[in-house]
Amino acid sequence: MLATLAIASLARHRTRTVLAILGVAVSAAMLLDMVMLSSGMRESFRGLLLSQGFQLRLSPRGTLPFDTEATIRGADSVLAVVRARPTVVAASPVLGGQLHFPTGGATITASALGVEPAVQGDYELVAGRQPAAADEIVANDATLRAIGHSLGDTVRAAAGYDPQLRTFSGERTLRIVGRVRFIYLALDQRAVALPISTLRAMGGPSSADRMSLAMVKLRPGADVERERAALHAFLPQVTVTSTAQALEQVDQRLSYFRQLAVILGSVSLIVGFLLVTTLVTVSVNERIGEIAVMRAIGVHRWRIVGQILLESSALMLIAAPLGLGLGLLTARWLDGILASFPGLPERIDFFLFQPRAAWTALGLLVVSGILAGIYPSWRSASLPIAGTLRPAAVG
Amino acid sequence: MRLHLGQLQSLLGYGDRVDRFAVATRSAEATGDAVARINASAFGFRAHRSTDVAVETSKTFAVVSRFHRAIGTITIVASAIFLLCIMLLKVDERRRDVAALRLIGCSERTIVGSVVLEAAAISVFGSLFGVVVGGTASFLVNRHYQAVYRTPLRFSIVTGDIVVFAVALALVLGIVAGWLAARRLVRTPPLALFGR
Repeated sequence: MLATLAIASLARHRTRTVLAILGVAVSAAMLLDMVMLSSGMRESFRGLLLSQGFQLRLSPRGTLPFDTEATIRGADSVLAVVRARPTVVAASPVLGGQLHFPTGGATITASALGVEPAVQGDYELVAGRQPAAADEIVANDATLRAIGHSLGDTVRAAAGYDPQLRTFSGERTLRIVGRVRFIYLALDQRAVALPISTLRAMGGPSSADRMSLAMVKLRPGADVERERAALHAFLPQVTVTSTAQALEQVDQRLSYFRQLAVILGSVSLIVGFLLVTTLVTVSVNERIGEIAVMRAIGVHRWRIVGQILLESSALMLIAAPLGLGLGLLTARWLDGILASFPGLPERIDFFLFQPRAAWTALGLLVVSGILAGIYPSWRSASLPIAGTLRPAAVG
Repeated sequence: MRLHLGQLQSLLGYGDRVDRFAVATRSAEATGDAVARINASAFGFRAHRSTDVAVETSKTFAVVSRFHRAIGTITIVASAIFLLCIMLLKVDERRRDVAALRLIGCSERTIVGSVVLEAAAISVFGSLFGVVVGGTASFLVNRHYQAVYRTPLRFSIVTGDIVVFAVALALVLGIVAGWLAARRLVRTPPLALFGR
């Protein structure tokens, strides 16, 4: 009975109801987007960091991985200490650098990662195989396009320049054995990976026994924070960062987007709330005589309050699925814009859909709908019956 | 911190190397000429115009700016619907007045015109109030982020162009919403508006 009356009341003013549903749908879409933005980035980055199963990262003391060009000295002894720990399953060293490929008159430069192919966690093989020999290399599509080579080709590459002699330094002939996708790099960023020993040799004495980073995989169930503290105590020359700490850093650096999400999400909710409150208030004012008649024939005050609350909640609930669909579409559009951030890893999503986000948005909408109906419903149910009926009857 | 170049090179064991040179030229033509000549003879480095470097390094801000524009578009759509809804309600509230006006002989055009005028006035006053709210919000945003990032940079600027655009948009939306709502009302028979 309550629901029938509420629906009949909404159906009486179709244009108004449709506009209200549209307005609330746009607010709901914005709200969902902002809920997705506030948590999506963090979850997406977390997924990226844990995608290869490495829970700890070792970088030069006082730095974050690849934040500076600093490297760790005595890399082999550091790795030996790490690998000797009983909780460590694998440790993957990475040396960052650049390789220059002379092509015709120009030189193409690409980021180079020196890795141990058997334990690396920086790229996924798309075609071909891992480098097995010292002169083998894998490259991503952006590099292969730029240098005009493909799988199986050999290329000349150098690790640096000698401007005084006008020659390349650390030059080698390398064979491309794999096409890969780098996990932590942007899609259009040119990059290659090769055995760390080769990159060290090409870099000369300054690269000997160096690494930029080591990623550590622990046994399932191992206490990550305890192991981090232990490694930190054993290796004073490095900073050991756990995934949780890396996420804290991300939170700090991207706090702008989180704050924006909170502000815009709140504004969307307030706009939706105001829209429904206004509509329900006007609708109740129009039916004030009708409500007084209902009270006069014995309908309880709480039933009237319930009917009006149902009306406001129904507006929100009908608009919610439309808004959630619209929100997913706009999230894709907004994510496409933010994906063009320079250097952003391909797999990072700013707007990551999680069922929790949808439920949060829906819950906020329902609460907002109920709150929006409280004032008009209480006001209408509290009016004196005779005093209201008389002007309504006289007209 | 700042150090003498030689001292930093020695401290880092960097040798006779620098990350970049800044070159001052006499004119824009001289800049183009210098870039071309340096790049023709350079090996292992390249010369770039400062403007090109600025464009390249401001890509992040360009993306943020595009994101803000997209959010702005969504906000405009939401406010347009909101405004249309409110105008519809405002006009609907006066159905008895409109019916009376129609019955005493006022033309549809006069009624629509008066409603549109009222909608335009509400839009202008509303948007001017919005400008004050926006200006205050911009001031608070700048104060907050300047304190957070310890910078004199301004994060939000309300320019004359933005104010004109906001007021004009609100005016257009208000007039369209008022016109649609008024048209709907004057097409209803006056007695039906009275509820008879």
